[in-house]
Amino acid sequence: MNALDISSVTFSYSGAPVCALQNFSLTVTEGRMQALLGPNGAGKSTLMRIVTGQMKRYSGDVFIFGRKMPDHRALVSIGYAPQAISLYTTLTARENLRFFGTMANLSGEQILERSEAVLGQTGLTDHAEEQVATYSGGMQRRLNLAVALLHSPKLLLLDEPTVGVDPQSRHHIYETLMGLNKAGMTILLSTHMMEEAQRLCSSVTLADRGKMIYDGPMSEIDNLEKFFLEKTGRGLRDE
Amino acid sequence: MILRQLRELIRKEILILLRDRQTILLLFLMPVALIFFMTLALKGVYTDKIYERQIQLVIENESKLPKANLLEQKIESHKLISRVDRPKGMDNDRIFAENKAQALVRIPRGFDEGEKPVEINFDPVLDFGYKIAIRSLMTSLTVEVVMDIDNLEVIVANMLVEKTKPNREIPSPLQQTVPAYAIFAMFFIAIPMSIGFLKEKNDGTLQRLFTYTVSTNLLTLGKIIPYYLINVFQFVLMLLVGFYLMPRIIGFSFQLGDHALYLIPVTLVVAAATTGFGVLVAALARTPEQSSTLAATGAILMGVLGGIMVPYFVMPVLMKKLALISPMYWAHQAYLDIFLRDAALVAILPKLIVLTLFAGICFYVAGRRVQWI
Repeated sequence: MNALDISSVTFSYSGAPVCALQNFSLTVTEGRMQALLGPNGAGKSTLMRIVTGQMKRYSGDVFIFGRKMPDHRALVSIGYAPQAISLYTTLTARENLRFFGTMANLSGEQILERSEAVLGQTGLTDHAEEQVATYSGGMQRRLNLAVALLHSPKLLLLDEPTVGVDPQSRHHIYETLMGLNKAGMTILLSTHMMEEAQRLCSSVTLADRGKMIYDGPMSEIDNLEKFFLEKTGRGLRDE
Repeated sequence: MILRQLRELIRKEILILLRDRQTILLLFLMPVALIFFMTLALKGVYTDKIYERQIQLVIENESKLPKANLLEQKIESHKLISRVDRPKGMDNDRIFAENKAQALVRIPRGFDEGEKPVEINFDPVLDFGYKIAIRSLMTSLTVEVVMDIDNLEVIVANMLVEKTKPNREIPSPLQQTVPAYAIFAMFFIAIPMSIGFLKEKNDGTLQRLFTYTVSTNLLTLGKIIPYYLINVFQFVLMLLVGFYLMPRIIGFSFQLGDHALYLIPVTLVVAAATTGFGVLVAALARTPEQSSTLAATGAILMGVLGGIMVPYFVMPVLMKKLALISPMYWAHQAYLDIFLRDAALVAILPKLIVLTLFAGICFYVAGRRVQWI
């Protein structure tokens, strides 16, 4: 079964002259870790927002584990870590987890149990009672991931999960993601870091200017960066 | 399930707010400080001008005849008057310029014979109310002496009786400042409310919430309820400060009136209006800077127009008409109805209707303009 099936999705922001996504299709097979690559303005974040139900005015179809979006049961099976650190910084890690756990409809007992588990997975157990504002960038990224993992999703969507973090935190996040994928979690990783994509993912989808321009196994690509530049061109993308 | 989510949304907002020292200062300490200082500043407006303060008066009796002496004695012994001697070598202008006296009374030669009148000279900057009071006093005392009447007030008392409610002739300035600055601070809730909303939008936490099964209605309630509760708490706290703390510190009394229970419906409606204003600012502003400017300017303007900073009864006619457009005016008058006028609920009701309409318009416009993502 496919964890995610995106079929001919077209979307444009109001007032924008061009489509952010144009006839975009993508499939992520269950159990796979797949990279979503593309230069700035390729439509990666827009795609993530559509898949996670934040944007609804699009044409085309999105299926999550066979359920057509928008669907509440499909939404529950997704874990999403946005590119921005989307946490309440004056709350502690545990308070953030309690809050997002309740939003995910976990019971009080489940929140306690899962909070311990994800804090352990992301190496934050010793800092659980500290306000997030006191965390380093790497710790905040790890907690951003922990929140996405809290309700045990089957499909994890990550938007630039290692931006601005030190090598230690990055390594920790890689280890965590590999462990989760090994345990059966499907992961779609949107990233600019070629090394990260090549190291973690078994397949890759390349997007540019709202269109899918490549979709295939990572094993067929020797040098991902060279491949990326060949496909998307060397001109600057400042949009 | 939904109630659990709502409770958690409220808990989250309150925790964030309680950990923000600037917001606590703005919502709770600012009104206490304003009540304290503005009560002292308004003392002159609210106190009994005639009996609370004495006028420094130079009396010059040039006649020295019996009637002139009697008048001099009557003026000197009046409680409104504090007699001062003319400083040596000082003319009238200098006496006033150096604030040695506020008025001069000269009883000339020929007064007893009815040839010359008593002369009064006022400090040009003296409050008009004092001038009228002194002129009226001098007239009464002169009539008493000339007409050989023992006490004119007793005679007048048989013709004119005052029926003002006991102890309500002059409200304490606290009666004005406690509801005024409680309302003022309640409107400032718009600042943390809108900044919190925009911050969540900008840092992506709001977008993240939409990836869960949480409706916009629930998120809206989760934003409105905590700030509404805080508004009610603000008023209760200011009332306690006005009732228990301020009288001990600055000595003014504070009365709740005969219908203190009416404070409940009035406060609930006022809190709806203030929360509505907050929601409107949050929906209209695009950046936190915009929202704080919009909220603060809006609240200050409403305060100036609504009789918060300058008491309504001292405003000129035009300003009194303009006051009607400020929701703070309606809120303040509703509280003054309870504290000072012992008004029936039916008299307060029109004010509550205006405030409810204001809240409704704010919520409606905000609902049409809000952009969640």
